[in-house]
Amino acid sequence: MLRLWPLRQVAKVQNVLGGLTQIATKSTQPAPAPELVEVFIDDKQVFVEPGTTVLQACAVAGVEIPRFCYHDRLSIAGNCRMCLVEVERSPKPVASCAMPVMKGMKVKTDSPMTRKAREGVMEFLLMNHPLDCPICDQGGECDLQDQSMAFGSDRSRFTDNAFTGKRAVEDKNIGPLIKTIMTRCIQCTRCIRFASEIAGVDDLGTSGRGTDMQVGTYVEKMFKSELSGNVIDLCPVGALTSKPYAFTARPWEIRKVESIDVMDAVGSNIVVGMRTNEVMRVLPRVNEDINEEWISDKTRFAYDGLKRQRLTTPFINVDGQLVPTDWETAFVKVAEKVKKVDPKLIAGVAGSTADAEAMVCLKDMINRLGGELLCTEDSFPLNRSGIDFRSNYIFNTTIGGIEQADVVLLIGTNPRLEAPLINARIRKTWIHSEVCVGVLGAPVDLSYEYQYLGDSFIVLKDLAAGTHPMCKALASANKPMIILGTDCLQGTENGVIYNAVKDIAERLRKNLKHKDWKIFNLLQKNASQVGALDLGYQPGVSGLKALQAELIFLLGADAGTVSKDKINPSSSVIYIGHHGDYGAQIADVVLPAAAYTEKDAIYVNTEGRVQLARQAVNPPGMARHDWKIIRALSEILGVALPYDKLADVRARLGEISPTFDQPGQVNESGFEAQAYQLQTEIKDPIVNVNTAISPTMLKLKDFYMTDPISRASLTMAKCIQACKESEKNPYSKQEAKA
Amino acid sequence: MASAMSTKILGPLRLSKQLISASFCRSKSDLTAATGHTFTEYEKQRDKKDVSIIVNEKMDISAISGVPEEHIKTRTVRIFVPARNTMQSGTYNTRRWRMEFDSRERWENPLMGWISTGDPLSNLEVNFNSKEDAISFCEKNGWDWFVEEEKKPKMVKKSYGANFAWNKRTRVSTK
Repeated sequence: MLRLWPLRQVAKVQNVLGGLTQIATKSTQPAPAPELVEVFIDDKQVFVEPGTTVLQACAVAGVEIPRFCYHDRLSIAGNCRMCLVEVERSPKPVASCAMPVMKGMKVKTDSPMTRKAREGVMEFLLMNHPLDCPICDQGGECDLQDQSMAFGSDRSRFTDNAFTGKRAVEDKNIGPLIKTIMTRCIQCTRCIRFASEIAGVDDLGTSGRGTDMQVGTYVEKMFKSELSGNVIDLCPVGALTSKPYAFTARPWEIRKVESIDVMDAVGSNIVVGMRTNEVMRVLPRVNEDINEEWISDKTRFAYDGLKRQRLTTPFINVDGQLVPTDWETAFVKVAEKVKKVDPKLIAGVAGSTADAEAMVCLKDMINRLGGELLCTEDSFPLNRSGIDFRSNYIFNTTIGGIEQADVVLLIGTNPRLEAPLINARIRKTWIHSEVCVGVLGAPVDLSYEYQYLGDSFIVLKDLAAGTHPMCKALASANKPMIILGTDCLQGTENGVIYNAVKDIAERLRKNLKHKDWKIFNLLQKNASQVGALDLGYQPGVSGLKALQAELIFLLGADAGTVSKDKINPSSSVIYIGHHGDYGAQIADVVLPAAAYTEKDAIYVNTEGRVQLARQAVNPPGMARHDWKIIRALSEILGVALPYDKLADVRARLGEISPTFDQPGQVNESGFEAQAYQLQTEIKDPIVNVNTAISPTMLKLKDFYMTDPISRASLTMAKCIQACKESEKNPYSKQEAKA
Repeated sequence: MASAMSTKILGPLRLSKQLISASFCRSKSDLTAATGHTFTEYEKQRDKKDVSIIVNEKMDISAISGVPEEHIKTRTVRIFVPARNTMQSGTYNTRRWRMEFDSRERWENPLMGWISTGDPLSNLEVNFNSKEDAISFCEKNGWDWFVEEEKKPKMVKKSYGANFAWNKRTRVSTK
């Protein structure tokens, strides 16, 4: 779908930064509540806001109108005609999805006229739809199937007199994730609208008219988006289905487990489809505050990584070789190692997918042994108020809050690949409320237009000093937002960068009209990070070297930040995790644990929202739940932890931070002024950062493999391969921006 | 958490209501003739004399429900509203509250390769009209419970005209 921006073309020629200041003129006063409109749905009186569509008014009245092209989160297309309803004093049935309500409107959703209209539409749709439901992956959860049962005619008038057969369309190849069977397409255009509106990739469109109309990319190319899998959900028929899931399960065989995703720090709500103790698929779960109705491709398709490279039995290192063993031997081996070292030199590292329960158990155990150092893999500046204040390391605005922002400044982050759903929110805001976005970092494709400020530290210093032209736009904004990525905080100069960003935020905060609006946001990359910092873990592994740790417990730490040679060549490593990845390679003892679909666990997302993941399947082989492993180990080490049940561990979590007692909520963090004050008390030496402020993930191919699960996934490997191939495709959009 | 539950004990009159309505449904006019009142008036009068007694006492049937102690003391119930299947547009399954138990071990049965479980509660599906109903059911049966709040979709105002707005980013030219 093409988008034309005649006016914005003109605006481009003008000084864009000048244009940024215009937003200040936008009224902040909420419009007075409009008078509600009275409508009657099947003689039931409802009051709705003016401008509501008939279909929405029906939903308020509790009547669900059948639909194919209409979707709550996409623009209105009005082309399937399934939502036709009778409106009194209207000669023809009206398409309820596009018709706004009018005063006193009387809608009949089940009158003979409405029913006849639906039957007619159904008949036309089925005339060209193949009867291949038995071999169709959508079978059982197909809108066309459901609605033809409920609203269709009980017999068909379709006779193929000329033996020409039904309409047939060639299948398209749009990548390794989406399987297309285009003959089944009913041309609802949902996928097209999703691609151009939500994903921001204008790849899909239609060609031809009438019976010859086809949905596709016109020239063969990959649907190159980090959100592409969502078109599978959107497709009301089986035209777009999941390639990895093809012919593996039927929806009625699947047990649905509502859980939380850990592939990024967004904490998308998911439904894990389980059958025969195997994860069959992952679907999104509606949560307006986080992922709306979408999930990223990594969340959706990396599940096959849960079945490969798994650690199913404990291992011990014998002469440089990992040898399978049993739990007892492995535990005894760990106990021997613990006895040998000075307890002060025992440390722990939590990896990107560690759950809060396991982290608190590990921390309590190491503290009881006498060790003090527990850290995460992702670094964060500690030189000033650091992690003492929660507002310093969480996404304070909240993901839903992005929609209220009018200026967004992205620093050293590529949200499109680090947190695709946060980027989708920014894009949504960009479309619907014209948010202005500035980017300091790499000039990546974010799927919306932005003002590129460069990637040097000098720009950041100018912004902090208030001399940069962007400062004017930020200062005049009602609800400005600053999103700082963690990639630029991994180096030794992270404190300087962090402080400069805090300076910008503090200046804006002082002059803010909305006192409760939060400006500063840290976009975490790891699902475990906020939880770990809440529990008192130290960010970054630099402490290990300073301590010269002798014994290191890795809790799924697979990012490769811990290396024996750099820390202490004589050190021992105990790995507790689920995949044979980096951590297991360097380990002396490997204790197999559970992945996120295999345990009831708590994860804290980048907003600081505590969420409960549910166990869908059992850990494979001899693998056990992480916290139980640590609990059992503590007994052997003679420092038995005082909790035996999951509820007790959670009570312990609640003791440390009350946020753990309020799952699903975001607790507003305060004390920004104090946090900043503490920060300024210690003066930093003026350092110039010479390296560019840049995120590490720049192109789509960097997105697919970021953690042990996605690294083990065959589907993700295919995606990377397809991305590389599409770079050679002359028709594919080149990602690197000039 | 464990608030005092109100238990309604049905009085004999309430019980007879069903009997009356069942046996008199064909002879409303007879009743009118006999009492001098219309049937509905009679019903109204009778309902005024509702003799239900409210006992403020926590009801616990776990001792007599027949559920093994292991499955009362060690289980946790999650009370939730099932999520809408994003593959479909229907919302019928999201209208009620449901309870589910924590997951127990499953294993591959060597006979057929199918999956077995020793958990009798894993297939229990009970729906409730409200979360309060679900909570009181759990309390009554002695299960630990927690509620996952309902996540309702927000209604967004939309207009077909936005596709053709000349100065907005919602503009769509072709499909």
